[in-house]
Amino acid sequence: MSDALATTLIDDIGALLLFTMILILGAGQLYRAIYAVAAQSVFIGIAGAVLGAATGNPDLWVIAGITIAIKAIFLPWLLLRVVKRVGIRLEIEPVIPISVTLVIAAIIVVLSFYLAASLGTVRQAITGNALPVGVALMLLGVLVMVSRRKALTQMVGLFASENGIFFTAMAVSQGMPLIIEIGVILDVILGALVMGILVLRVRSSVDADIADLDQLRG
Amino acid sequence: MHPFEHIAIALGQMGLIVLLAPFTTGFIQKLKARLQCRTGASVWQPYRDLVKLLRKGTVQSDSASAIFRAVPVLVLAATLTAAALVPVVVVRQAPAGALPLGDAILLLSLLALARFLSAVGALDAGGAFGGMGASREMTVGVLVEPVLMLVVFSVAVSTGTTDLGELAARRGLAPLSLHAPDLLALFAMLVLLLAETGRIPVDNPDTHLELTMLHEGMLLEHSGPGLACLVLATHIKQLVVMALVAAVFFPAGMTASLAPVDLALALLVFAGKALLLAVFLALVESSYAKLRFFRLPQFLGVGFLTAFLALALRIL
Amino acid sequence: MTVDVLPILPLVPVATGLAMLAVKDRRLLAAIDLAGSLVVLALVIAVAHSVGEEGSLSAGPLRADAVTIPFLLLIGGLAVPTSLYTVGWMKGELASGGMKPGALRFYYALVHAFIATMLVTVLADNLGVLWIAMEGTTITSAILVGFHGHRDGLEAAWKYIIVTTIGISLGLFGTVLIYAAAAAAQGGSPAGAMSWHVVSAMADRLDPGIVRIGFIFVMVGYGTKAGLAPVHRWLPDAHSQAPTPVSALLSGALIKCALYGIIRFHTIARGACGPELSEDLFLLFGVASVVVATPFILAQHDLKRLLAYSSVEHVGIAALGLGFGGRIGTYGALLHVVNHGVTKALVFFGAGSAIGRYRSRDITAIRGLLGAAPWIGTLFFLGTFALAGLPPFSVFISELTVVRAGIGSGHVVSVGVVLLMLVVVFAGLMFHAGRMVFGSAPSSVAERGPEPRTCVLAMLLCAAIMLLCGLLLPPVLDGILARATEVILG
Repeated sequence: MSDALATTLIDDIGALLLFTMILILGAGQLYRAIYAVAAQSVFIGIAGAVLGAATGNPDLWVIAGITIAIKAIFLPWLLLRVVKRVGIRLEIEPVIPISVTLVIAAIIVVLSFYLAASLGTVRQAITGNALPVGVALMLLGVLVMVSRRKALTQMVGLFASENGIFFTAMAVSQGMPLIIEIGVILDVILGALVMGILVLRVRSSVDADIADLDQLRG
Repeated sequence: MHPFEHIAIALGQMGLIVLLAPFTTGFIQKLKARLQCRTGASVWQPYRDLVKLLRKGTVQSDSASAIFRAVPVLVLAATLTAAALVPVVVVRQAPAGALPLGDAILLLSLLALARFLSAVGALDAGGAFGGMGASREMTVGVLVEPVLMLVVFSVAVSTGTTDLGELAARRGLAPLSLHAPDLLALFAMLVLLLAETGRIPVDNPDTHLELTMLHEGMLLEHSGPGLACLVLATHIKQLVVMALVAAVFFPAGMTASLAPVDLALALLVFAGKALLLAVFLALVESSYAKLRFFRLPQFLGVGFLTAFLALALRIL
Repeated sequence: MTVDVLPILPLVPVATGLAMLAVKDRRLLAAIDLAGSLVVLALVIAVAHSVGEEGSLSAGPLRADAVTIPFLLLIGGLAVPTSLYTVGWMKGELASGGMKPGALRFYYALVHAFIATMLVTVLADNLGVLWIAMEGTTITSAILVGFHGHRDGLEAAWKYIIVTTIGISLGLFGTVLIYAAAAAAQGGSPAGAMSWHVVSAMADRLDPGIVRIGFIFVMVGYGTKAGLAPVHRWLPDAHSQAPTPVSALLSGALIKCALYGIIRFHTIARGACGPELSEDLFLLFGVASVVVATPFILAQHDLKRLLAYSSVEHVGIAALGLGFGGRIGTYGALLHVVNHGVTKALVFFGAGSAIGRYRSRDITAIRGLLGAAPWIGTLFFLGTFALAGLPPFSVFISELTVVRAGIGSGHVVSVGVVLLMLVVVFAGLMFHAGRMVFGSAPSSVAERGPEPRTCVLAMLLCAAIMLLCGLLLPPVLDGILARATEVILG
């Protein structure tokens, strides 16, 4: 696969990733956000495959496969299981109105592109739009975590943020070493499990969402 | 090209759209019916409805003025002019100094004008439902029109022109020339398609319950030939927006020559694209419920952000 | 060394943890816990000795050089008193119902897993492994924070895991950027671009723009984990709701490990784009931490929250030391890391015992500690004394060093602000501690049985180190810190 084709494909996948991120930000219901982040992880997997074909590095194929298996199938399934077990209301309640969130998101994306444009030579080490899109995705994931009241939505934001980091990491030269990427994914899984357990424990003892608890002050 | 040829082509495309518009609506209704396991009305029913309406008399409220009678004709005129502007089968380069027969901004302005005139007519009738429908429709308009502009601009920035014919020609008639920002613009456009055609989840075109309609609310007071004009204008607007999507994002298949064979082929391709979009609309209508009105800004906000990003990606 | 000690070091706590999962008897668990910690300490001393002779030890992605040693000593040095304290503390918890016998082995195993992840964090040469181990510490300690299962504990655990995971995700992004810069400097080849000692060696060839941005992400990210303001909001909750031995490890060791991560990137950034950016950021975060923590120390009711805010303040002072830069500043910061770790552990032990004795975390409810539990009361009071920065204790020396560095490098305003805050904190701490320690205890408490010997022993151990380092700095420690300073400054 030629470099030019790889760059174009990465750019296209970047646009699709941004679109799924917008869907997560604008989601009115929890399960839509979960499906959107699953779709996003599928696109990350595809990006990994594209980069694997472009650089000839077999590690990237492995990463693509693991990403799809874990982040597109297993983790969303886990979240949906928790949703069913807990039986929470599906409406996502934001701390700031969704329209304001969308405006902030627009500003973040523009700033990310600005930032990436100001970094001269190292841009060439990272294929296509991966750096600005990765930064944007990561910061937008943080925005979701900060501006949503439901614990599970915060977890979705975390997964989206990690997707952004992965996107940039995969596109750097020949991708980050396999061990590191596997370690990161393992950490994400464990983190998700612990968070899921915390959500369930609080739900069973107190009838409130864990992200809503705010007794500790001062 | 000779200026007369331009006008002739424009009128020809306009006529094409007028003829095909009711069929498109009929097709969508039929497809929706099938998806909902009903038989549904025939695809030609919209034509019959128009003819029926033309034969009926007009009833208007006492507080309506001459504006109320003039509005249907004006709306139809604006929409027809818009139909003349959008390239359907023929793509031609506009010569320097020629009439702006194809400018995208003019097109969007005409559609906005049509919306405005319908609202005025509804308000003029003095009924409560007309007023409510008009205010809701204008709110949707405020949210939708900037997004349309952004989408058109994002594509125009890449080709350097807002003339739709030139835009299509310059983007190349190659089948797949979509790049990353175009994908985003396409997603935004699909959201807008739902809003401009007044379909679920933005509005329900089948309902006649006063509290649930946006567009239908404005038509409530009209009757007879006036209503026929407005209904035809709705059909035409739907097809015009579809043709806009096809011309901007999938210009492949449009021809520059006027040979009959080429024209027929281009017509077939256009019909295919329109039918695809019609299928998309029918599927969306059958799969989702109408959004509550205060949720519309969120839904359209997603479209806005997508279009904004498309433009931003183009520029940055 | 004939046997490669380095990989064994983090495996020891893992093995201890696994062994404990198979044991149910309380006394046996406590014994294994203590034995495991002692072995860790012994190995740490062995590694320190080797590094002192050979300069650095390598084993795959793990590497121990001069900078690693102070942190390793801190972790190993805190593990032993913590295990010792846990023996006595656990008896009290089991009796009062705070800990269930069935969950005991999981608690101990998690603590050792936590220690193992901290060891890997400071031993990591590969920046990615550093990140993975750091996230590992978050996961293990989050479970420990919420271990009691109370509502407040779970709330604290959730806030902790969410905020710090956001934070170190930003840190991961910064790591990726530095990796990109390193790979680009090698002409697109990623060989060794993740390894700290390779990257710092070629730091002057890295593109300064991307290193700057990468460092900012790292600073904000790992700074969240270190408890620097304004991203410190999780710390008071997590450190106060955790079981006391875990609080001691969190405040004493974990936030220092996060600071260690930042220091590693600091060296790279110094080489690539000069010391201005990193020092300015350290100054900013340091002053913010000290200023933000002070009012919360004054107006505090919960004893452990008070100590948690004190941790924020002290990690801010360490950051200030790094921000003032130069030999003295960096040395002072490292010394403060060690000194504060030991002192904070001491005070947390005392607080934990007091809370157990008085059955309340409220400062106003704890009175007459000196009368009710003389040893604990005295040691607790001395520890608070030290924490407030008074001679002849160790924290005074390190704070003095940092202030000297500040004046020497011309940052008079920052020094002035910080000194003012320190005075206010001193007043606050003395006020609270005095009220708790002096006076007469409520009668219900005064008859509550003798002080657990192991707890007192652990506290004595910490106090001894604290006093020793305050009176005269052992030359061994001085040498270690001096060599570490040299490596950091490149």
